[in-house]
Amino acid sequence: MVIEAGQREDAGSQSASRTGWAPAAGNRRAGAIVEALLTILVAAGIAGVVLLLTGHDPLAAFAELVQRTLLRSDGLEQTVVQACPILITAVAVHVAAEAGLWNIGIDGQVLAGAFAGAVTGPALGGFGIGGLALGAALAGVLAGGLWAAVPALMRSRYGLNEIVSTIMLNYVALSLTAWLVKGPFRDRSLVTPQTALIPRELRLPDLGPLDIHAGAVAALALVPLAGFVLHRTVSGFELRATGANPDAARRALVPVRRVWAGALIASGAIAALAGVNDVLATKGTFQAEWNPEYGLSAFVVVFLARRTLWGLLPASLFAGALAYGADVMPRAAGIAPAFFFLFEGLVLATLAIPALVGGRSFARLVSRLGTRR
Amino acid sequence: MSATAILTALLASALLSAAPLMLAAVGESIGEQSGVLNLGVEGTMAMSGFVAFWTALHSGNAPVALLAGAATGVAIGCGFGLLAAYVRANQVVLGLALTLGGTGASGFLFREAFGSDQPLLSNGPGRPLAGFGDWLPVVGPAVTDQRWFVYVAWALVVAVAVWFGRSRLALRIRAAGEAPRALDATGGDVAATRTAASALAGLLTGLAGASLVVVEVGFFSPGVTAGSGFLAIALAMIGGLAPGRVALLALAFGALAGLDGGLQVAGVDAPVELLRIIPYAGALLALLALGRGRRLPTALAQPYPAPEGR
Repeated sequence: MVIEAGQREDAGSQSASRTGWAPAAGNRRAGAIVEALLTILVAAGIAGVVLLLTGHDPLAAFAELVQRTLLRSDGLEQTVVQACPILITAVAVHVAAEAGLWNIGIDGQVLAGAFAGAVTGPALGGFGIGGLALGAALAGVLAGGLWAAVPALMRSRYGLNEIVSTIMLNYVALSLTAWLVKGPFRDRSLVTPQTALIPRELRLPDLGPLDIHAGAVAALALVPLAGFVLHRTVSGFELRATGANPDAARRALVPVRRVWAGALIASGAIAALAGVNDVLATKGTFQAEWNPEYGLSAFVVVFLARRTLWGLLPASLFAGALAYGADVMPRAAGIAPAFFFLFEGLVLATLAIPALVGGRSFARLVSRLGTRR
Repeated sequence: MSATAILTALLASALLSAAPLMLAAVGESIGEQSGVLNLGVEGTMAMSGFVAFWTALHSGNAPVALLAGAATGVAIGCGFGLLAAYVRANQVVLGLALTLGGTGASGFLFREAFGSDQPLLSNGPGRPLAGFGDWLPVVGPAVTDQRWFVYVAWALVVAVAVWFGRSRLALRIRAAGEAPRALDATGGDVAATRTAASALAGLLTGLAGASLVVVEVGFFSPGVTAGSGFLAIALAMIGGLAPGRVALLALAFGALAGLDGGLQVAGVDAPVELLRIIPYAGALLALLALGRGRRLPTALAQPYPAPEGR
């Protein structure tokens, strides 16, 4: 049950050029942006029909959404805040995808990171904001990496498909953290089952006059950092070589199995930072049964970014706007939060169709599940 | 509560929880045998569960509601098959999209239809055999006191497993996943076969979602599927996509998944959170123990004809 990332193939882009709006060779970036915008438009069109059929005014609703999430300064700030954890998880998905892996276990890794951060954070109050943040982040990264090490070992040692194992671990993480927080790690002085609160003055501060916390800087910094590791280091090169063609990489003496394990563990460690971010910046605690479910949004972002690293920035802003929209639109326009999952699902479905959007996004991710090595 | 009563309640809830899991896992197996990997079982189940719930509430008729859920599943399965086989969509991405879209759409429509109300279905499908097995302790009442749909689900799964072993169409389905080129060369239509298999998988998955809502829990809420769709995918892979074996696995895992409800009915106090871990951790262990030797269809998740330059 081995997934092999398929060989590089250009069939997708060929079919895209047949449809007439594939990016020209020298004009890739503009083409990718146009494609991403068209994808969103197609999805918005279908979502609009759903709104129309359920008795809403789609144009007014979308205008309200754009107005509240992007055009007002407080809305834009909240959009950025919501985009931070999504950006972090998208970087995590991107790293795994570059190695040809599907890390669908983001949700569990986020929970592992958030839990570890929430448990260690309050104990580190004596070290000030910086010490607390660093310690909690370290604990989170360890927890997320360990959590991802399970599917990583199953994959590298026993050749077991990471798709199923990572998904199963999401549900294990959700119930396990809930039990830990209701039991051994519960702060009995609080009414609801949750860990000890991190005092407000020790949470991540806002950036100057903005209503955006310092976690945004860390999230932003991850992008060039991941870019540096992936494109300027030997391990990054080995990772990308494995993702592009594992057979060729193996012949070039790249330790392919170890690269897979390492990439999945690194991906889990990065995803955990999103959980730490939420605990340190917005929540200050870990509540039982809390599950932000960033994982599938991260996939939307990664494919909307056409598998480029820098594209993650605008794409996660889009996902952040939808996440904040899910917060404000129920009251503003009477549209239930679930609508925004539907919208994201439609965007992702559109991105799955190579005839509509060039093949670049998964030219290297067409996995071969069947053949066993 | 006496020990036999506890055991009876546990076994009864195991058999009940196993029914939807079985249907979804066998459905997924047939789809994957044809080369279509559908990771959107969770979304299909949520959508068909909602449709079945809505129908049950408005018609008061369980069979009609179950059929409506099954029809929803067929429609979604057909759409997935068409996009995967003819439009060559990336199946993993499409499956994740279906999970997002299906849970999102069902949650949205639920709020649209009922606002913040949480209506309950008054009485589920009847129990035609109740009392027949009382002469046999534990197993008797657990087996005969089930709602009629549970028996239908078992019969359906057995029928599908037998059919899959000996029909021409089933052979074509396996060929579409294992050797699409050979199927093509012998005059078969790979894309049509895959779409048909995906529709059949959708039928079973739709019934799974519908029965989860109408028969097992008796209400709909966003997130009611709670991972059982993904568990079904795991079971299909652990069982090597063989319908009979997958159904037996689903029976075992139904018992594990039914533990939290069963122990509650039996009045045993155990941390629900830890009980909820058991089926998923169990699936991981089963994957390690049984999944290692299993091979999946050669062309699973691969478009046909294969992209040029391959």
